[in-house]
Amino acid sequence: MTSVTSAAESGSKSILASKKPNRYLRGEERTAWWFVLPSFALLLIFVFYPMLQAFVISFQNYNLVGSTRSFIGLDNYKNLLTDRDFLASLRHSFHFAIIVIPIQTSISLCLALLVQKKFALTGLFRTLYFIPVVISTAVAATVFKLIYNKEFGILNNVLKTFHLPTTNFLSNPETAMYGVIMLGIWKGVGFFMIIFLAGLNNIPQDLYEAARVDGATKIQQFFRITLPLLNRTTAFVVIMTTIDAIKLSGLVFVLTGGGPNGATETAVYYIYKMAFQQMQMGYATAAAFILFVIVLVISLVQMRLFRNAEY
Amino acid sequence: MNRFASIVKYTVMTVLAVISIIPILWMISGSLRPYEELFKYSSSLNYHLFVPVQPTLANFKEVIFNEGNPFIRYIANTLFVAGIVTLLVLLVNSMSAFAFAKLRFRGKAVVFALFMSAMIIPGEVTLVPNYLLMNYFGWLNSYKALVIPSMLSVFGIFLLRQFFAEIPDEILEAAKIDGASMLRTFSSIVLPATVPPMITLALMTFLGNWDSYLWPLIVINDDKKQMIQVAIAAFSSVEGTDWSKILAASTISTVPILILFLFLQRYYIQGITMSGVKG
Repeated sequence: MTSVTSAAESGSKSILASKKPNRYLRGEERTAWWFVLPSFALLLIFVFYPMLQAFVISFQNYNLVGSTRSFIGLDNYKNLLTDRDFLASLRHSFHFAIIVIPIQTSISLCLALLVQKKFALTGLFRTLYFIPVVISTAVAATVFKLIYNKEFGILNNVLKTFHLPTTNFLSNPETAMYGVIMLGIWKGVGFFMIIFLAGLNNIPQDLYEAARVDGATKIQQFFRITLPLLNRTTAFVVIMTTIDAIKLSGLVFVLTGGGPNGATETAVYYIYKMAFQQMQMGYATAAAFILFVIVLVISLVQMRLFRNAEY
Repeated sequence: MNRFASIVKYTVMTVLAVISIIPILWMISGSLRPYEELFKYSSSLNYHLFVPVQPTLANFKEVIFNEGNPFIRYIANTLFVAGIVTLLVLLVNSMSAFAFAKLRFRGKAVVFALFMSAMIIPGEVTLVPNYLLMNYFGWLNSYKALVIPSMLSVFGIFLLRQFFAEIPDEILEAAKIDGASMLRTFSSIVLPATVPPMITLALMTFLGNWDSYLWPLIVINDDKKQMIQVAIAAFSSVEGTDWSKILAASTISTVPILILFLFLQRYYIQGITMSGVKG
């Protein structure tokens, strides 16, 4: 208030004067900094400093065992781009993404539509669909290991009942990734169902009423109103799924350990293996940086999409 | 026609619900069976696939009182770490969120932008340098490595800031006029007014830490100090054949979390909705 009156007093000088805060504001500023300081320090120490450090290490030959460090320029990156294991691990991550995105997105949208309208038991069904999200990754992967088991897993029991061929999904390099994918979808749909529910609730109900008056069928309503207005949510879900797929590691660690024959080794698993089993910190960090660039590009696309979104 | 449609709908919903929870029910029922029984009824689909014929608690006893694999200890470790992290996350991030929502200070926009930009950096990218940092601090194999880097939650700041911003300025002004310090205003006006989002953040943090696997695997070497998820994964690969015990260990680690979730699911789901809305 004082600064406003002083600003009114006279020309350019008052701008300087109004920049200098009064005593209360100065007190507020000091308090504000104390409030922000703890998290800001954590941000600098555990996010930005490591990020800078990662950038530097990625140009080094850094072996933790011999604690040798030397600058080798772009060699790590060059080697990675021709490293068949690394490229395969990226391919596995994208394989996961490409299969999971359409299936998981459509199932979670279906679930959201099924439980959107309130009726008896909606709450119960929502909770049941959501429970896999809460089950910890290690437990889910452990239980699925048993479910996939050829002799006594329930999955093969079901297959047998329908006279379909049985197999141990995880010991065959051809099918192991699908074992990971099924678990990923089982665990993920509930989460995205909730996101879709939030999106569905944002669609104004009068649009449907108007459509009903005009004689539109349920199917027409879905394709002409629901889907277009869910664009933003769908884009968010697809991008989140892609980023999660690229960062996929936990399920693979416990379910397959990257096997059989490296068939389910994902990018993060590869980074872990390089850094903490072979102690090649520089090489692993360069791989992590390539991963970061991929995630960054996807995030930028995401921001673009959302800026162009209508509402 | 309408009736037919709703029958189809309920059938589909039930089938999907069964698929969602069968693995968990199977885990729990399997943990209550003697080892010989676990596979006896698995050759065909009948109700004994899910209902134990001779229910027993022996698996739990063996898992809990096993000297080599002290599961109660792992759970206590994890409860301890996740609990401390949750408290600290609430404290540290609500303070910043308050400053960003309600206080004026120079550089606010820039600092806030820095926080938000950190959301793009995946933890996987800073895994190696953070490990080296822990090594440098001498925190490897200690809970400091699990607790201190986890104290920051950029999402938490974002979430709380939105709720804090809704508190009317007049109330804060009134407190100021009454001579309350900023800390006082924060602790006795702002925090009590925003209990629901605090529960949301607490639950998300707690469950996230309960579930964490890769980081504890890397920084904790001492078996006795290990977290429950790593312990379960290790247990299931060592005891590869003793499935009833593995199922019992998994059940022990799941049931408390499931109960917590069932009581507080509203808040947890609210947090997820928020993360979708933010875009």
